[in-house]
Amino acid sequence: MSAQRPRLALLAWASAVVASTLIHDPAMLTAAVVGALFVSGTGRLGLIRRATGAVAAVLLLISAGYVAMSMLTATFAVDVLLRFNLRVLLIAVLTAWMLREVPLLLALSGWPTAQRWLLIVQAQITLFRRLAQDYRLARRSRSTVAPTLRQRYLGASSLTLAALDKAVHNAETVTQALRARGALDE
Amino acid sequence: MHIPDGLLSPQTFLPAFALAVPAWWWAIRRARRQLDDSLLPRLAVFTAVAFVLSTLMLPLPGGTSGHALGVALLALCFGVPLAFLAYTLVLVLQALALGAGGLTALPVNALCMGLVGALVATGAYRLFAGLHAPGAVVLATWLSVMVSATLVALVLGMQPLIAQDATGGPLFFPFGPAVTLPAILLPHAVLAVGEAALTLLVWRHARRRHWFTHPA
Repeated sequence: MSAQRPRLALLAWASAVVASTLIHDPAMLTAAVVGALFVSGTGRLGLIRRATGAVAAVLLLISAGYVAMSMLTATFAVDVLLRFNLRVLLIAVLTAWMLREVPLLLALSGWPTAQRWLLIVQAQITLFRRLAQDYRLARRSRSTVAPTLRQRYLGASSLTLAALDKAVHNAETVTQALRARGALDE
Repeated sequence: MHIPDGLLSPQTFLPAFALAVPAWWWAIRRARRQLDDSLLPRLAVFTAVAFVLSTLMLPLPGGTSGHALGVALLALCFGVPLAFLAYTLVLVLQALALGAGGLTALPVNALCMGLVGALVATGAYRLFAGLHAPGAVVLATWLSVMVSATLVALVLGMQPLIAQDATGGPLFFPFGPAVTLPAILLPHAVLAVGEAALTLLVWRHARRRHWFTHPA
């Protein structure tokens, strides 16, 4: 696949996100959410699940705060409530759709340093998550008693430093391997 | 303390883009001079650390979220330009992987946290490092988080004042600064203490390992 298509898709997503901030009518925002879900093809349920999962907590909190405060000051307007909820949901749906369709690394193929940086960061995030999971599992398998808060903090700090050492070592090894194979000669 | 996508008006994010683009350009030019094959892997690792720190999010009533940033750590270890770029990448990854932040919020989040946070951290560290370096790291981190949080709270709180419908109702974020400032600053004053302790832990470790030839 060429890099042209993912870049165009990224541009289309960015334009749609910016355009959504120019729509203020809740009915039109609802139509845009429904339209985006309809056009996105199969897997709509997964898309809406991912989008709502990303924004549900913050929207619930802002909505609850708005309802409570506007009731107290007698300024409640359903349009305001619907407007920010629908706009945030619309952008979340558009972003989830873009992420499902666009291979980001391919879109970055014109910028090798950015691509390499993104690759290493993604690899390190996976590594950190695995290390934390390994640590949790190891601790659970070796003790029948839950650790105290102090033990948790001490464990977390030693894990952080060990993970850093390991991650820096791994990233340097990967870079040296890339250099040895001529992958950094640009 | 991310601002999610869809809560900022174009009157806010378009000027923010106009400010952020030259700032990114400046940072990229400076980074090109600094980045080499030995620094890039370390920067990537610390970018990943900042990402992992910011994944532990707690939504706050002020329309944002509370979590550690990692900007001060990046700034104290790599300097302002690389910290700003690395934190922008963290914001992009968060928007893509977790739905936190987003495209329209990116310039505001990047400027408030990535650039101003890094500038405050390095400035405060330089000011106080002569007295007591570890203490300066703690103070620089705390100040960096609090200044960034104040800016984020002010930008959010401005939204009902600058974008209204015909009836005077807010078109974007509905709360003013009287709500956003305490809602964001109070939890961050506590969170920043934890972040300062963590930054000191990693900063000391990095110094012991001689990972950085040009720290802040």
